[in-house]
Amino acid sequence: MPRIDAHLHVFTKVTPEFPREVTPICPAEREEPAEKLLDVMEKNQIDQAVLVQIGGTSIEYHSYLLHCLNSYPDRFLGIGVVPINHPDPAEQMSELADGTGIIGFRLFELGGPRDIFETKDVRDIQAYHIWKCAAEKDYVLWLYPRSIDAHLLPYLIQEFPQVRVVLNHLGMTPGKGKFNLDELGRPQIQVSGYNLNMHTTYRLARYENVSVHLSGQYAFSKQDYPYKDLAGWHHNLLNDFGVKRLMWATDFPWILEEPGYGELTSVIEELLPHLSESELADIMGGNAKRILRFPNRNT
Amino acid sequence: MKRPTPEQKRQWEEDGYLVFEDAIQGDQLKRLQSAFDYWAAECKDEWLDRVEAGEAAATFYDIPNPLEKDTIFIDIIDHPSYYGALMEFTEDDVILLGPQVRTVAPFPVSYTGWHPDVGKDNPLHIKVQIYVGDVPTNGGEFGFVPGSHKPDSGPYKRPLLQESMPGHKTFPGKAGTAIMFNSCGWHASMDNATDEPRKSIILIYEKRTPGRIGPEQYASISDHCQTPERRRLFSLPDLTS
Repeated sequence: MPRIDAHLHVFTKVTPEFPREVTPICPAEREEPAEKLLDVMEKNQIDQAVLVQIGGTSIEYHSYLLHCLNSYPDRFLGIGVVPINHPDPAEQMSELADGTGIIGFRLFELGGPRDIFETKDVRDIQAYHIWKCAAEKDYVLWLYPRSIDAHLLPYLIQEFPQVRVVLNHLGMTPGKGKFNLDELGRPQIQVSGYNLNMHTTYRLARYENVSVHLSGQYAFSKQDYPYKDLAGWHHNLLNDFGVKRLMWATDFPWILEEPGYGELTSVIEELLPHLSESELADIMGGNAKRILRFPNRNT
Repeated sequence: MKRPTPEQKRQWEEDGYLVFEDAIQGDQLKRLQSAFDYWAAECKDEWLDRVEAGEAAATFYDIPNPLEKDTIFIDIIDHPSYYGALMEFTEDDVILLGPQVRTVAPFPVSYTGWHPDVGKDNPLHIKVQIYVGDVPTNGGEFGFVPGSHKPDSGPYKRPLLQESMPGHKTFPGKAGTAIMFNSCGWHASMDNATDEPRKSIILIYEKRTPGRIGPEQYASISDHCQTPERRRLFSLPDLTS
């Protein structure tokens, strides 16, 4: 069974060939190229990976992602980004995905009523047309929504039950003002001690088309690797979603320096020590291969 | 104070729950509904801000510090309809852990899955859920697995669908109904397929253990606790001490 890293980012320095936005997390001169990733993957017996767009939502900002997918078609699948206020999201989604290796799109917001009591018609949700396109074109939706949007998810999932949905980073939904960069320049999300997502995203387990990443621990934990304070969340996700709907991921490159890519390949064994060998293999790649339809790797 | 009948005591031991229909009624129920609606509306914006900040769940909210907002919320804590049963089951030594004056939004998925609140080795932990509005079938009504509080019951596993829990019973009811249950038993809020929020109050009690609740916890409502019984319930010092 392949070992697949189901969520990470690669990018180059800003160049005319590969333009991208410059942000505190991705300064203009920083580069974390696919070849560097392939090197650490090789050293840690990881076969394939999902490259998730970083550096902007426009089509031109996807240049490096498309380049990597084209260069290593048996190693990577891609997730693009489309803004929810795009005038014609289906056009951008098709242009990015058709024959490129991009299999889906990441959303950070859904754009509906902030008040759950006012959520009446799913078509009023701004991201509705993105979901509709995903349903029609069989794209995966990759979700890391804000806290205020989490209550909209079941309405969209019920409306489009054929869409494969992947909740990023333990199903967390970051609160406004709770996102920072730590001293290593990587995301740090302040979360409540009591996991509020049990009442929203974890409840989505009843929908069989919803899967969850076991990733991003470094951003939520108040402890060092292996992030034992998050073991309970992992157990809850395992209990609710079952072993066939969880996907391991590293969120490369943010973990390269601390704790290191190699350590992350053992984080599931550390946090879910009672898994059988075959269950662990499912989470470490089997599920990603099945759910995301990874091609076989050329040998 | 009305003590439970032998049949109620048997049901409590066997099934782990009791239902008190019309526990709160008439003008008292109207007053409760009015206070609930007023304070739920007053507190809603602050709750939404907390949801946005990732500090509160999006699917339900509780009125903060309800006991300080209206004395009706104090008066239901030791309401005669069910207080006798609480005293009986705790051998006349019950304390209040807290009230949850809760509005649950209509939502395709219940806000909480099947669960017990405490382990079976916990001191007797009792909840009383009072419906403030009518709660129909498929309206977020309370669900319980009779007998799941017993030491030899289970093991149980949370099912994906609320209605798939083996052996469960649901409790639709009229406004004013109170459901008392042993909270080491498995329970849930069922899905709410209606357009109406579920309005209820969940009162949490426990058999007293030393130091469980300090005297400062309810000091702000001390003036409303003038009988020795009520002061013990709220873990307040005796007025004569």
